[in-house]
Amino acid sequence: MKISRRAALIAGGAGVVVAGTGVAGYEAATYEKPEPPSPPLTDKEGHLVWRNWSGIRHSYPAERMAPASEEELAKILTESPAPIRAVGAGHSFMPLVPTDGTLLSLDQMAGLVSVDGDEVTVRAGTRLGDLGPALAAHGRAMANLPDINKQSLGGALATATHGTGKHLPAIHGTVTALRLVTPQGLVVDCDATKNKDLFDAARVSLGSLGIIAQARLKTVPDKNLHRRVWLEPFEETLAEAERRWTAHRNYEFYAVPFTGLAANITHDETDESPRPRGPETDSQFLEALKMLRNVFEFSTPLRKRVAHFVLMMAEPKAEEAVDEGWKLLSTERPIRFNEMEFHLPAEEQLTALREVVSAIEKNRPDVFFPIELRRIAPDDAWLSPFQGGERGSLAVHCYYKDEYEFLFTLIEPILRRHGGRPHWGKLNSLKTADFAALYPRWKDFADLRRQLDPQGRMLNPYLQGVFGV
Amino acid sequence: MTIAGVMLAACSPAQKHLSPAEIAALRPADAHEAQLYEHSCKACHAQPGSGAPLVHDHAAWDPRWAKGEDVLLNHAILGYQAMPAGGQCAACTPKDYQVIIRFMADKEQAP
Repeated sequence: MKISRRAALIAGGAGVVVAGTGVAGYEAATYEKPEPPSPPLTDKEGHLVWRNWSGIRHSYPAERMAPASEEELAKILTESPAPIRAVGAGHSFMPLVPTDGTLLSLDQMAGLVSVDGDEVTVRAGTRLGDLGPALAAHGRAMANLPDINKQSLGGALATATHGTGKHLPAIHGTVTALRLVTPQGLVVDCDATKNKDLFDAARVSLGSLGIIAQARLKTVPDKNLHRRVWLEPFEETLAEAERRWTAHRNYEFYAVPFTGLAANITHDETDESPRPRGPETDSQFLEALKMLRNVFEFSTPLRKRVAHFVLMMAEPKAEEAVDEGWKLLSTERPIRFNEMEFHLPAEEQLTALREVVSAIEKNRPDVFFPIELRRIAPDDAWLSPFQGGERGSLAVHCYYKDEYEFLFTLIEPILRRHGGRPHWGKLNSLKTADFAALYPRWKDFADLRRQLDPQGRMLNPYLQGVFGV
Repeated sequence: MTIAGVMLAACSPAQKHLSPAEIAALRPADAHEAQLYEHSCKACHAQPGSGAPLVHDHAAWDPRWAKGEDVLLNHAILGYQAMPAGGQCAACTPKDYQVIIRFMADKEQAP
């Protein structure tokens, strides 16, 4: 693998600037905080620790189960110690997974079940990254994918995981049928006509109604997409964003605090021949931003001038690629982080962004991660954050070694004031009454959950709090 | 040496000995470990550009192996730098991690 010219320019540009600050500047720039403290490897009963991707959640499950069939899954749900919580890639930042009861992996319940025209049936343990090539072998593709593709299908549905595209729903919005194994061990099929209430509730259900064993998904022809990535002044992006969401199949942008810049990404269908994307370069971009933070944290105006100069020098023109969607829409994320993301009414998204960028640049010079803006088409699942209308997402990330409490004190109030609903897997402080006010079918969901799981076997302490149990 | 040079060296990927197809085809000999590896570890450790040390890449693995097998096992279970805790394998036991680490480091004959 060759390091790309773009990555070299980013790293080299930042490095040259840092070199100009002398030895002390170099030491500051390359300073790396120690790893955050780790929990013990085992608890006093000898149970092995489970920890989420970013490292902020952990537990010591008494049992770890990996069923290979619906029958095995049903037996676990009725007999294994509660709380029973399923985990895929552990990418949720909220404590949806931690359990001292049973930790359930669906890794052995993975793969394509069938392909029927433009619909496919997929086992819930399938990782999204594996689904792309599996569908491509049949000439099909997911219409959209999230930024990260390590998640299991079941985890992505449970938390309303999404990509970007004004006319593209989140993954659960492409589901046309589900098979659920209930806490009482029943295997139940549902769709828009059969068990409709269960279908509308289960598409986004936090693993609280039982375990989804498989889902039928709408797919699209596996066409090539043209990917374009470019940097430009933040104000230009704000002026053009709405037009771009309308004009492009997929459009998102990253506002880069303390630079006055935004990184834009579009994907559009094309008949062009493949031009592969090449090595991932986002890590070098983030390292350069971290380095600039380390050196110039003391002066926002100076940091902005230097960063603007360095990054625009390194990114004089757009980076382009043509390939199948599953190779382009998701990105490797080797740098871990914690994240808060809210889904706002579309018309509030850019106003809220201005406030968030201003608040960060005024109060939190330690932040260096870009802020991600996406657009998601509506769907009608009861607990879908996109229920009732198009939503614009706004995500603030923090390096996994950095303090993230400010997300709750500084950022969340802005996002809530603009009518945001939190991503189910990402940091938020909302309680039962808050969710009830945001979701018109909250009570219906709660009633159905109580019917399916009267003993609350699927609820860990966090979910007991969410549902007021 | 300039700082930029230092940075570029730090960012350079380890020397590659196998093609991406050859890397993707590698898997542990034991069927159970192979299944665990396929569902979790492979997503990064057989993916050029992921930042993870690629399976059987001695230039990447040998310095890590030199730190001691216990250190690698600890990092796999608790997470370390880019490595997420547990390697996204919720069903893996410490013994599974040990076998898969040895496989990826190409040290399956280690005592």
